[in-house]
Amino acid sequence: MSLLCLGLEGTAHSFGAGIVSSEGKVLSNIWHMLSPVEGGIHPREASRHHSDMGPGIIKRSLEEAGVSHSDIHLVAFSRGPGLGPCLRTTATMARTLAQKLSVPLVGVNHCVAHIEIGCLESGFEDPVTIYVSGGNTQVIAFAGGRFRTFGETLDMALGNMLDVFGRTIGMRFPAGPSIEHAAADGVEYHQLPYSVKGMDLSYSGMLTAAKKLHLERVPVADICFSIQETAFGMLAEVAERAVAHTKKNEILLTGGVARNNRLTKILEGVAERHGSSFHRVSPPLAGDQGAMIAWTGILQHQAGDELPISDSHVMPKWRTDEQDILWRCRF
Amino acid sequence: MQILKKQLLTLGAESVIYKVEYWGMTLALKWRPSKPYLHNEIDKLLRISRTSRECKMLTFVRTLGVPTPAVHAVDISNHLILMDFIEGQQFKQLADVSSKKRITTLCHEFGELLGIMHMSDIVHGDPTTSNAVVDTQSKIWLVDFGLAEKNATIEMKGVDMHLLRRAYETTHWTLQETMLESTMEGYIERSGDNAEAVLSRADEIRERGRYH
Repeated sequence: MSLLCLGLEGTAHSFGAGIVSSEGKVLSNIWHMLSPVEGGIHPREASRHHSDMGPGIIKRSLEEAGVSHSDIHLVAFSRGPGLGPCLRTTATMARTLAQKLSVPLVGVNHCVAHIEIGCLESGFEDPVTIYVSGGNTQVIAFAGGRFRTFGETLDMALGNMLDVFGRTIGMRFPAGPSIEHAAADGVEYHQLPYSVKGMDLSYSGMLTAAKKLHLERVPVADICFSIQETAFGMLAEVAERAVAHTKKNEILLTGGVARNNRLTKILEGVAERHGSSFHRVSPPLAGDQGAMIAWTGILQHQAGDELPISDSHVMPKWRTDEQDILWRCRF
Repeated sequence: MQILKKQLLTLGAESVIYKVEYWGMTLALKWRPSKPYLHNEIDKLLRISRTSRECKMLTFVRTLGVPTPAVHAVDISNHLILMDFIEGQQFKQLADVSSKKRITTLCHEFGELLGIMHMSDIVHGDPTTSNAVVDTQSKIWLVDFGLAEKNATIEMKGVDMHLLRRAYETTHWTLQETMLESTMEGYIERSGDNAEAVLSRADEIRERGRYH
């Protein structure tokens, strides 16, 4: 029998609600991202955004899927990691819905959800995942019953670095797309700190150096071009190290920064060199949205997972490798 | 270089290693090929700086008593290093099939080698079990010094120990506690008073970059 899950995502800047069936069909996926006119994301403002927008988004998600409340069999929510106030707001909506509809509640790990929705879309079974967004830069692969972080940033996330640099030169959040656009006109490469440590990387030195170039009146296009080439080159190297180390033959690119075409091209090159398949998660499923939470909620629930409301506190620091991935035990 | 016999050993992330017959000896030839998907200038810079760095560091840490393959010849412009071929197995592969006692001994030794390097302000930069080779006499050799650095600070040493711990977590998850414990014993034995500052920095580094 087909089962419908309503997934609520609200770990940071975006609130989303998606409905997915147990066959893996995405019936609806509505989200809204907070984009302040100036400055970055304040946790308090983001949580207010979620509580203001949430009910409307959930309603639209049901309408678009053409189902009513009573058709929902399961409510899943992003339990962590993320900004505390945002997580709590989202969890409150999820608990209320689960109780009101008398259906089970499932708490989903945001990072795991990004991987699982990518696997659903690509048909990949066991990829090395490059997860790059405003808050995360991780190279993750499944090993020994868990998703393990083989490499990650030692300081700031790739998307965060792009956003902060963009903000200093007057771009609005999220700055990634504007930087990609500007980089297309870049011609001269300026050397920036290339900081790879094992399978980890560091972006804070690059941010400082890029700001300095800006003060020296280097054209913005050239800086953006140099940032992209260096930052993505570093990511390619750690991806390559992870592929060589794990001997897996699928590479999945996901998260908000997956929308970047230059990054995609570079990682395609990596995949080609190692004879791996490559998939970039499509824009509607790459960013933070509810469908990924709903789909992972289904997988988790089918593996016997259910979260009693009394234990459903949020986990702002929930690490990817802290959860036993019961539904993947066949690997 | 004119190579008479060449056999591909490994296709790594940034290099290709061949086993070659040269000067009547069996040697390893490490080549850093071009990566067409990188910006040309980054590609050029990385291949040259890492080749040069690797030669220097392999040779330098040898004088400290850390077993590394001796460098026989370098061709910087072609990104080639000709070095000793170590007959043995990757520690990574051995760890899966060896007795707990043997792994403990090897980890202890691995920790000692890192301690020796850190005492001289050298970091390896990628201290994983993939980059340690165990020879037929059960001696550990460290390889792959392309990311190694001199004049290392506490922060850099902390990163080294953080990377080591993570390598155990991701690759040797069933044995990680035992392996980490023996490695730390060996490390502390060699780096004495400096160990505490480095290890507490490693813990701090672990928490950074997380989504808080």
